[in-house]
Formats: sequence, C-alpha cells, structure tokens
Amino acid sequence: MTTLTFFNAWHYDGKSAVRRKVEVQTIGAQFFLLETERRHGPFAFADVEYVAHKGDADVYGLTGQDGWRLMLSGPVPAELTAMLPARRRYGGWVDRLGLGKATIAFTLASAAAVAVVLFSPQWLAPLIPSSVDKKLGDALVGDFGGRFCSTPAGDAALKKLVVSLDTSPRDLQVEVAKIDMINAVALPGGKVILFDGLVKQARSPDEVAGVLAHEIGHVREKHVMQALLRQMGLAVVLGGVDGNSGALVNNMLAMSYSRESEAEADAHSMKALGNAAISPVATASFFERLSELDGSARGGDESQGITGYMSSHPLSRERKKAFEKSIVKGKNYKPALTSAEWTELKTMCTQDRKAKSGFGFDFE
Amino acid sequence: MSEDLGQRHSAFRFHGTWQEFAGIAFPNLLLSIVTLGIYRFWATTREREYLWGKTDFIDERLEWTGRGMELFIGFIMVFFLIGLPIIVIQLISQGLIFRGETIIAAVVTLIMFLLLFYLTGVAYFRALRYRLSRTYWRGIRGGSNDPGFQYGLSYMWKSFAGWTPIFLMVPWSMISLWNERWNAMSFGPHRFEAAAEWKPLMKRYLLFYLVPFLVFVGAIIFGIAVAASGGQPDALGSSGMAIGGILLIVAILAMYIILPLAALAFYSKYFRLAVGGLRLHNLEFEFRARAADWILFFLANMAIIICTLGIGYIFMPYRNWKFFIDHMEAYGEINVDELTQSETIVSKHGEGLLDAFDVGAI
Repeated sequence: MTTLTFFNAWHYDGKSAVRRKVEVQTIGAQFFLLETERRHGPFAFADVEYVAHKGDADVYGLTGQDGWRLMLSGPVPAELTAMLPARRRYGGWVDRLGLGKATIAFTLASAAAVAVVLFSPQWLAPLIPSSVDKKLGDALVGDFGGRFCSTPAGDAALKKLVVSLDTSPRDLQVEVAKIDMINAVALPGGKVILFDGLVKQARSPDEVAGVLAHEIGHVREKHVMQALLRQMGLAVVLGGVDGNSGALVNNMLAMSYSRESEAEADAHSMKALGNAAISPVATASFFERLSELDGSARGGDESQGITGYMSSHPLSRERKKAFEKSIVKGKNYKPALTSAEWTELKTMCTQDRKAKSGFGFDFE
Repeated sequence: MSEDLGQRHSAFRFHGTWQEFAGIAFPNLLLSIVTLGIYRFWATTREREYLWGKTDFIDERLEWTGRGMELFIGFIMVFFLIGLPIIVIQLISQGLIFRGETIIAAVVTLIMFLLLFYLTGVAYFRALRYRLSRTYWRGIRGGSNDPGFQYGLSYMWKSFAGWTPIFLMVPWSMISLWNERWNAMSFGPHRFEAAAEWKPLMKRYLLFYLVPFLVFVGAIIFGIAVAASGGQPDALGSSGMAIGGILLIVAILAMYIILPLAALAFYSKYFRLAVGGLRLHNLEFEFRARAADWILFFLANMAIIICTLGIGYIFMPYRNWKFFIDHMEAYGEINVDELTQSETIVSKHGEGLLDAFDVGAI
C-alpha cells in the first residue's frame, strides 16, 4: 500500500548541510523521502527516534545515522504520526508517569532513601565487627603525635575513674592529651581522649568523671560508628544536590542526630555516675559554667564523625537541670578520686615532659 | 528560506521568551527537589534543548542532542574516579595530621591539589568538546578527536606562568589557553582557527589589577585633604573618628563595587578579543557586548535574583544564553554543500568533570 501525504517535510541527510524539501512515502513499516529528482531510503519506522521540537516542527532522527533529520510541520496525518515515536518532554520516566505522579513517586523514593540512610546506622553500627572499629580508631589516632600524657600515678588515677564508670573497661582506651582545650572526644575503637585543658579547669574529680562517663556513653551506644555511617550515606544520597544546599541539609540532619546522641550519652553518664556513687552535682555545675560560654557565641563546628563535647548541642542549661534532677537525696555519694589521686591526674601533663603539646598547626 | 535579509541584524538570533522558559524551569526545579538533585542532569538537558532550539543561525535553528543520561553518567564517573579518592585522601591526611605527620599530610594535599588542577583543565576542554559534539546545525555537528589530556598540562603550566610574575601574565595565559582549546575543535569538516591576541588586553587588565592600589591611594589623599581642612584634631576628636570611619566604609564600598566593575570591564574585553580571533573556514565571529552591556547584564541578574528572593536564579541559564546569542555575530559565507558531517568521535558521557568543578564551558 502506498500513501503520499502533503504537508511540510524537510530533510537533512546528515552527510552535508544541504536542506531538502521532501515528501514522505510510506510503505508498510518503511518509508522513502522523495525529492524532486531523488529518492532517499528506504528507512524503517522502527529506527526513527524523536529529537526535539523546534519552532513549529517536530524533529526526528534515525538510529545509527549521525545528523539524519526529518522535520515535520503542518497537518501531519494521523496514520504517519502513529508510526512515529512520541514527543519527549521531561525524559523517559516522567513522560510515562506524567509530571504529577512522577513528582509523588520521586518524593516517596527520596524520602525512603533518606530514611534508610538516617535510620539504618542505628542497627548497622552494632553489626560492624569491633576489629574493624578498632583498626579504624588506630589508623585515625595512632599515638596522637606523642601528645598522650602518662605518669604512673596519673595513669592509675585515670584507670580508677574508668573502672568505676564502666563494667568492661578493658575494651576502652582512655587517654589525656596535652592540648589546652576544654574538650573531650570519643573516637572509633573505644578510644576516649580527654584534653588536658578540660582536666585542668575542672573543679573536682567528679566533674571529670561526669564528662568521661558521657564520652564512654558515646562509645557504648556506638554513636561514633553511627555518625560515620550516616555521614557517608548522606554524602551519597545528597551527592546529587548542589554543593551548598546539600551541605546545609546534611549538617542540619547530622546536627539533630548529634543532639539526640548527646542526650543518650548524658543519660548514660548519669546512670554510670549513679552506679559508681559519684555525685552528679559537679557535672551539673560544669554545665552551668558551659552555659555561660554558650552565650558567648559557641560555634557548632563539629569535625565529621567525631562527637565533640563542647560542640554537642542540647543546651548546657537544660543539661545542667537534667544532671541536677538525677541527684538522689540521702544517697551516700563519695568523691570520684582521693585528693592525692586528683592532684596526680590534674598535673599529669605538666609532669610528663616527654608528651608533645598542642597540635603544632591550626586545628580546624 | 524566506528570511528577510534587510531586517536581519545578526547571523545569530534568539527567539525564546522567559515565559516559555519558566514552563521548563519550574517543573525542573520541582523535579530536582523531589529527586534530591538527581534530575538536574535532565533539567539541564531540557533547558539546553529549549535554548538551542530557539536559536537561529542564519536560516536554521540549532539543535541540542545531548541527553540527561550522558550528564548523569559523567557525574557518576567523576564521583567514583575523583570524588571518592578525594574523600579517602582527605581522611588519610586528617589521620596523618592527627598523628603529627604534618609534612607528609601537606605533601599529600599538595599532590591532590595539583591533580585537581590538572583535571580542571581537562574538564574545560572536554566540556567544550562535548557541547560542540551535541550541537547540530542543518544536521551537521562539531567536535574534536583530542581527548584533552595534553590540554590539561598546558592549562597547568600556562596558569602557573601567568601567576608567577605577580599575576601580570594572566591575560596571556587566558588568551593562549582559549586559542589552544578552540584550535583543537572543529565543526563539520572545518577546523576552528583561534588567533586571538593578548597584548590589547593588558590595558584593561592593569586597570583591574591596579584598582586596589588606586582606592588605597585615593583614600589616603582624601584623608589628608580632610585633615588639612578640618582644623584641630584634638577639638574635633570624635568627628575625626567619624570621618575616619566614613572613609573606611567608602574604601570598602569602593573595593566591593569598583573591583567587580573593573573585573567585568576586563572580562568583556577578553571575551570580545577571544571571540573576535575565532574563524571557521570562511566564517569570522564577533562578540559585540561592551563593558557597559556586561555591567548592566550583571546588575540586572543581581536585581532579578534579589527581588525574587533567589528563585530568579533558575532563569540565569536563559539570561546567559540570551546575552550570549544577542551579542554574537558572524560574517562571511557558508557553502552548505561543502559543510559535510564531522568525523570526530562522540563520547558517551557528558560534562561530569566540569560539572563537578562547577565551571562554564566557554
């Protein structure tokens, strides 16, 4: 069967830039393009692909023929249109579903992806073997550039604190680092580092015990690994978002989670203090002092994957109240360390002359 | 071919409207948000299809045949080949810093920086190549067979050479790189010939280069003049402070206003010279925007973005393209019989590198 149709059809053969006015001659699943003195083809309808809508014309290409174009405008007969591929608007999936449905589907898929990334670390983190955790911690910390302080009496005092606060202290590695910052960090592999600045400013061993128990809480609740996994997941999921907004969303999500884990670590700390019969009063007063610092614009700069103490975000004032509430009236609290032990711990970094001090560079 | 030659102002004409573009840009924005940004590759493609398709060159519209999937694949390639290694290297160097191995960390970081710098050069080249290979006019496209690895090296050494003499040779490096890039490109059977000169660019560059000094000197002169006419400083202690404060503000404003203006003036000259030095067989090109056009364009863009609280940002591709096409001009003639199909290879992935480094192609 042969049909000749009359509407505007232009053709480029892709070999030269000559524009040809043609007529489309359809023969079954094939067609020819007829010029006044030439016939192009046959071409198979199956090879025709949609290229673009240009001006008032639909532009078609041919698979495997670079630059081959057929441009149709005007009253294209329905029989011919039926043989040609449909217009493309948004791209494959969206065109098939329609904009509305596609939007809903994408929203759901995105929400699911984010949910997986946010919630899976909670049950994925415990599945990571402790050997991996340990290796990661060792790789990250090493000997901390020789900044760990050590004296026999100071080590003993620190050990006493750890033993009183944790039931299996053997898989913890608690160190005091010669860095003059009021901070403490929990790192992968059960590593907890108290900065000397924090120990020095503390007014009692109970205060250090509260902070230490908090960091041990991060270790026991697997917060560090969770945060690492979450950051990695978010980096992948939000990788497609433009730099700035992606980082913003990422930080907001990470922040809200760090707040949650800070609260969990606080709860752990209060429980551990209670079990060790150490009064939470000192820790509460520590937060009192911190809350004064809060007012003086503490930045929330948190290095990724390291749960910092100062950068933790439940407001210090609220945390102070929580610790005050956990005081049990009439309970027989005893000091976390004897005054001799406390002095040893406090002066450990001063005594240890071998330990290097500071970072030797600007720490972010 | 019923073009009215008398009415035609330029070989390039743009027929798009921002209303039509809005019909593309807003759904794009919506889909990009709900896909956490992944749709943006298809969004870019749709925008280009529209912009190219609304652009006349002589008597036929341009055609953008790039696909969102190509850009997406390019992005994934960059993510795995460059993004992940960088994250790993950063972790390693952080660990090194933690352990006090500051020097090794610095060396690792420096190597990473150099590698990224090299890849940025390659990215510029490949993005231009990709865009030419996806741009069709009368069924004919452009491209290049050069993968751009050599260009990456040129980009490194020419940039360094431009910076070394206290940044005075930057115009030379910019023009020289432009020429090198375009000389490797072709359209149909014809090779581009780029022979832009850099010396005429120096005057504008020095203007831009000297602005900070001029502002500084101006502030001092103004200060002396005020002090000379202001009488006793001890009697006018507080007002003297106020004048000092005002001077400081004026100087800062001058830096923030005059410096970008001088930069635009330089860039307008650069682009005019660069495009003006370009030939394709019997065609010559010209870019007619002067410094004032660029400044107006820039201010209008700022106004649009600010007045729409940032949403106007989605119209920037439209504004940029319209500005580009409105000021492009070509002279000479094309023999369509001679303009045969390009033999250059077509890579299957898009501007991943360039996208990752967030730079423009031209």
